[in-house]
Amino acid sequence: MKLFNITRSMSSGVLKKSVFATTAAFLLAFTSISPSMAEGYPEKPISLVIPLGAGGSHDLNARVMTSVIPQYLNQAMIVQLSPGAAGQKGTNEVATAKPDGYTLLFTHNYIDQLQQHVENLPYKPLEDFVTVARINFAPIAIVVQADSPYQTAEELFTAAKENPGKVKMAHSGNWGALFVPAAQLMQANGFELNLVPYKGGGPAMQALLSGDVDVTMGFPSTLAGQLSAGKVRVLATAGDERIYPDVPSFSELGVNGDVGFMHRVVLAPKDIPSDRLDMLRAAFDQLNDDKTYQRMMSRMGENIDYMSGTDYDKARAEQAVSYKSLVESITGG
Amino acid sequence: MLEQFLTGFEMALRADTFLMVSIGLFSGMLIGALPGFTTLMAMAILLPVSFFLDPLVGIPFLLGIYKGGIFGGSIPAILVSMPGTGAAIATTYDGYQLTQKGKSRKALDIALFSSIIGDTASDIFTLLMIFPIALLVMQFGPPELAAILLLSLVVVAATAGKNPIKGLLMMFIGVWFSLIGTDPIGGVERFTFGHFELKSGIPLLPMLIGVFAIPEIVSVISRNADQLKATSKVLGERLKIHEFKRCLRTIARSTVLGTGIGIVPGLGQVVAAMMGYTAAKNASANPENFGKGELEGVAAAEAANNAVNGPTMVPLLTLGIPGDNVTAILLGAFIAQGLRPGPELFESQGSIVFAILIIMVLANILFLIIGYLSIPFFARLVSIKSSLLIPLVVMFAVAGSYVFRSDVFDIVMLAFFGLFGVIAKAGRFDVMPMVMGFILGNPLEYAFGQTLAMSDGNFWQFALTQRPGMLAILVITPVIGILLWRSINKKRPQPVAAKHDEVAD
Repeated sequence: MKLFNITRSMSSGVLKKSVFATTAAFLLAFTSISPSMAEGYPEKPISLVIPLGAGGSHDLNARVMTSVIPQYLNQAMIVQLSPGAAGQKGTNEVATAKPDGYTLLFTHNYIDQLQQHVENLPYKPLEDFVTVARINFAPIAIVVQADSPYQTAEELFTAAKENPGKVKMAHSGNWGALFVPAAQLMQANGFELNLVPYKGGGPAMQALLSGDVDVTMGFPSTLAGQLSAGKVRVLATAGDERIYPDVPSFSELGVNGDVGFMHRVVLAPKDIPSDRLDMLRAAFDQLNDDKTYQRMMSRMGENIDYMSGTDYDKARAEQAVSYKSLVESITGG
Repeated sequence: MLEQFLTGFEMALRADTFLMVSIGLFSGMLIGALPGFTTLMAMAILLPVSFFLDPLVGIPFLLGIYKGGIFGGSIPAILVSMPGTGAAIATTYDGYQLTQKGKSRKALDIALFSSIIGDTASDIFTLLMIFPIALLVMQFGPPELAAILLLSLVVVAATAGKNPIKGLLMMFIGVWFSLIGTDPIGGVERFTFGHFELKSGIPLLPMLIGVFAIPEIVSVISRNADQLKATSKVLGERLKIHEFKRCLRTIARSTVLGTGIGIVPGLGQVVAAMMGYTAAKNASANPENFGKGELEGVAAAEAANNAVNGPTMVPLLTLGIPGDNVTAILLGAFIAQGLRPGPELFESQGSIVFAILIIMVLANILFLIIGYLSIPFFARLVSIKSSLLIPLVVMFAVAGSYVFRSDVFDIVMLAFFGLFGVIAKAGRFDVMPMVMGFILGNPLEYAFGQTLAMSDGNFWQFALTQRPGMLAILVITPVIGILLWRSINKKRPQPVAAKHDEVAD
């Protein structure tokens, strides 16, 4: 904890302190690689497979998790990025890995539960995976430029209803974190947006700022800078509760349920021995109470709204059903 | 503004900052030099270290890794014809030829100097012009990007080499390879032949290592021992001043090109290096020397790919939007420090932003020292016995293909592209147009798909009324293509060359 107090001070550039911090940081980085002497599981480092690319929010979240959790596992956890095929590549790797507790998956609900209804997958999410923990979640917000003609979400929806396909929305990829909430809103309110794909949430936001599109979505953690600079306006946020005092929630707009939430979850192959699953779940429980972890996550702008594995497994089953009807209503299948 | 700049300058001058930048530069160089380990991976792995450091120490540390990594990628490209990153592809051409001639040190020196000049010039330009650049960046959307990518493809086609038919054929093969996998817009599977492994497309690194390194390994093995002694065992001299001076014009040209390309979101280092190389070849009085160990060839590629760095930081610093994965990691580092890049940071703590930009410039001086001192160490690699070097290179080729995605399938891909490269070499086909077709194919398709989605079905109306920039680029594209074609073919001594060219390469 002391590390932070030392390094937080911005301009006091005392060489000695920084050298200490540097050494400590390196030690931390290296101890997390060296195998420990503990008996039994885990007796070697655990791989955390991320089916997404480097530099994304999952990558950043995982870097924080894996730098603290060795304390509770007595073993290192190593991030392994395996992007490709919209997340299916990495997911399949874990689905086919030995269920010995040494290979885990760090994914999100859209890859986990939605894709099965859009494509033929080589794995069955509910039958092949079990939840270790839900790390946190991020509620989506509908965003327009500050000088946009749409003052409220209703105005936007009405415009999209009157001119189907004329209002352009930037999203981060088909059936991704921005696409799905948009589809859910379109389904619930009966309007049609022209969904223009971008390679990630960053480029989508840039498209909004440059005026290439009329609307996009974003997570509050990524919006803060644009909001305080007065460049964008939030029209609504996901969930029952308001996130910004004067911006309505999805529930107030008549959109209820698990709409517009990205859950970041750690999954394990279903056949993992139950004592090992319990150990992992306990370690993640402890991680969530760790002060260093909490501080690092909050500095990253992420919440630590944790959900235990058993609870999230119930939520997954519900997601599977609701995503199925969503996909059917959109693709007409 | 000036006040913030001066405060920033003061804040940047710190011993611990310089220490960590140096560590970052060196580790970036080492990791970048390992085939398969990308700069991006190095930054992601070492990101948590920055969490525990002061912002003006931790972020420069990551910037050091970034700069070092890009240069590091050119080391195996020059020494063993194995581009460590996509950005080093164009360097492979002349760099490895220089090594074959026993001039590996010269090649590494010119690569270092060009990288640093390109980097410094673009950093200073960015520092001075950050707000105009920020405005310019916003002018490039998917339609403009699609047009520029198409232009790049035309440049590749026009300069595809001695035999234009062969060059075009290779380029189309490359574009076809890029189509394999899941269609980026609609999500439809194409040419995967039912293989799940191909669903995410052909991986770039195994392809690069396969087509560039494997044919060289094969040819070294099949050559006789006397020749080996003559080529790879010589350490070689360092670069001479007059050789450096000869490259200056090329470096300047590539720096301007690279900086310009860096402003366009989504183009990046690979395109910059290729464009810089093509432009240098086109401007040279002896274009036939390119590809046979021309120092200017290395200089052109390396100056251009490093010059991209400065402008790519602009959307991150002015808007808080990361344009690529590298800047996404930097954004993570900023946020973890409680700093949120964007318009507000500029107003509230502009001096920090300037301090970071100034450190980017100053880091290049450290880069020069560290790079210059470590080149002899790297150059020694090729002086080891070939009975040892070859297994080592093969090991790196296999490990480098595997490590990026930890997938055995990628080793199969390495073997396939190795075979492809060997056959292409035997048939005197240049693999570069294939690789460029592959690299440009995917983003072009994506940007074009985005453009179609934006135009809502009325492409021409959309182009004519709303995107004059795209229209202008589309109009000049054939003009540039024809001019390049004519100028490159004119310089070639005509009748005798036709036969001669076939055997050269």
